[in-house]
Amino acid sequence: MILARVDGHAISSLGHPSLKAQRIVLCTPINEDGIDAGLPIAALDPIGAGRHSRVFITTDGSWTQNTVHDESSPIRNQIMGLVDTK
Amino acid sequence: MKVGRVIGNLTLSHADSGFRGGRFIVLSPQGKEELSATPPGGLSKHPSMVAYDNMGAGIGDDILYVEGAEAMQPFDYRTPVDAICVAILDRYEYAPPSAGAA
Repeated sequence: MILARVDGHAISSLGHPSLKAQRIVLCTPINEDGIDAGLPIAALDPIGAGRHSRVFITTDGSWTQNTVHDESSPIRNQIMGLVDTK
Repeated sequence: MKVGRVIGNLTLSHADSGFRGGRFIVLSPQGKEELSATPPGGLSKHPSMVAYDNMGAGIGDDILYVEGAEAMQPFDYRTPVDAICVAILDRYEYAPPSAGAA
């Protein structure tokens, strides 16, 4: 699981069918001090995280296949929750 | 999933039969600097990579790609693919907070 900050979103009209009607956010991974750490990643956002909010993201593809109800989905990243305190 | 900019194509004369119907693209992973530049995009310092694409991404397109074992999930049979293009982006917004605001 990755600690990250939501920094934007992406719009796509041509993608894997499992992405249909999903909100895709662009997140910057951060370390425990809130400092940027690594390449920005895209993740599904089922909870509607706001700009610059801290989230944690799962990279478990099999879990995401369950939530999008598509066993052929290659999607890995999905926001699991908002971080209040750490 | 990460954002990449398509910078080239890869053509194979012989390939695993599972790759039929798609092609390979060369992409440059987009880092924080490339995503927030105006205009966005460009060749990043990160090593470029090859990904399978069955959606028809063209040079200059921004895409989302997935790396890892999940990349072969859309295939009917086990296929040796490490990275796959999963979406062609129409547009995106990326604005990290200014220094000190975090």
